[in-house]
Amino acid sequence: MIRIENLTKSYPSRLGPQYIFKNLNFSFPTEKNVAILGKNGAGKSTLFRLLAKSEYPDRGRIITNRAMSWPVALQTGIHPQMTGRENTRFIGRINSVRSLSKYEKYVQEFAELGKKFDLPVRTYSSGMRAKLVFACCMNIDFDVYLIDEATSVGDPLFRKKAKATLKEKSQKCGVIMVSHELDQIREYCNSAVLIDKGKLSYYDDLEEGIEAYTNPESKKGN
Amino acid sequence: MVTFKEQLGAWRRVIFALFLRELQSKFNDKLGLGWAFFQPFLFIFALSYARSLISGSTVHSMPILLFMLIGMLYIQSFLTSMGPVAGAIKKNKPLFAFRQVQPIAAVLTALLMEFSIKVGALVLLVLTLYLLDIDVRMDNPLLLIYLFILLWIFSGAVALLFGIAATYLPEIDKIKMFIQRPMFFISCVFFSLQDVPERYWPYLTWNPMVHFIELSRYATYTSYGSAGVSLSFVTSVTLILLFFGLALYHLTWKKVLAR
Repeated sequence: MIRIENLTKSYPSRLGPQYIFKNLNFSFPTEKNVAILGKNGAGKSTLFRLLAKSEYPDRGRIITNRAMSWPVALQTGIHPQMTGRENTRFIGRINSVRSLSKYEKYVQEFAELGKKFDLPVRTYSSGMRAKLVFACCMNIDFDVYLIDEATSVGDPLFRKKAKATLKEKSQKCGVIMVSHELDQIREYCNSAVLIDKGKLSYYDDLEEGIEAYTNPESKKGN
Repeated sequence: MVTFKEQLGAWRRVIFALFLRELQSKFNDKLGLGWAFFQPFLFIFALSYARSLISGSTVHSMPILLFMLIGMLYIQSFLTSMGPVAGAIKKNKPLFAFRQVQPIAAVLTALLMEFSIKVGALVLLVLTLYLLDIDVRMDNPLLLIYLFILLWIFSGAVALLFGIAATYLPEIDKIKMFIQRPMFFISCVFFSLQDVPERYWPYLTWNPMVHFIELSRYATYTSYGSAGVSLSFVTSVTLILLFFGLALYHLTWKKVLAR
């Protein structure tokens, strides 16, 4: 369960502060995998970063008793000059994993990079980078994994594996995902939070959420 | 509740991880880590040696090479730490996505890095003095150690202030460059405060670097004298700047993340 209390978040700009959320109160369960839906600029990424505590609200707070991952996007924490192994060790250290060498081994296996694991990340293709980042995240035990759309690319085989791992973990953990690709969302999630004009609404059923997202008019008719 | 000890352990781990990352990404060319120590050493030594060839062998009773080395080492410590340390907040911005990594961890890491490099260069310098068979006295080593550490706290505080200011106003970086250049010439690196007529002292002694450098020379050779400079001035300037740096950080760090 994540509870958002009286949250206000704005960004400074030349036209004065741009409010993304104003005095928002909301709560939604994390037991089921949640997709965050919304138009461009609606505040999906902001909400995402606030949940991960990569950023902090101007006022109010977000309360949860679950361990959140970092917002897993393509570039976070990966230095192109460093090798895959060095990057992995860095992420392991930051998240204080118990055994670095074990973690390193699991990531290498999971990411399927083989010998390239010891080459600088700048020589990787974007799919390989995504695999590395995803593997780094999956091999640390979090309660909730925050996953950005770019990370879920990679080839179909890898996606299948990622999905299986998430399923396996879903007994005790959940996923929160931001994406525009409805196919990807259907693959990973089964409930949705829709952001519209600074207001949130939770849909227990993913299809309902997607319906409200793609055809806002039909909802008004009800 | 997280205990203080756990908190400290978490900070140590984050700074260690950042430190290793910095090492791995900065020095992965063929010259490697050795260059980090060798480059400042060479720069400091070459300039000092050239200066010592031009004029006599002693300045106010102290060997001119040592006189120059102290000045160069101190001003270089201040100037280079102003650059990378103040830039650390901006440079490590992508890493703040990890909630464990806070901006001050990046600043501390960069400061620690510059400090280690300068200590490495210092070891090389002392070794060179020894090999060149230059007689060097050390009258007040405690004062010298105190000043060197204080210098780093001072540089860290200034860098923190500039680093935070630069995230709000990018123009600050240009102003910083503008201030940095003349610092080299007004900090008594190439000359002694003693050589300047006393009525011009107020134009120089506002600058804490003058005090740092002159006092350190005094610490090695007491006969050099410490007229016009004061230990309590540098100590209080450092404490005041450190206070303002930390206060500003405490007020702004959450907003710095979003910029």
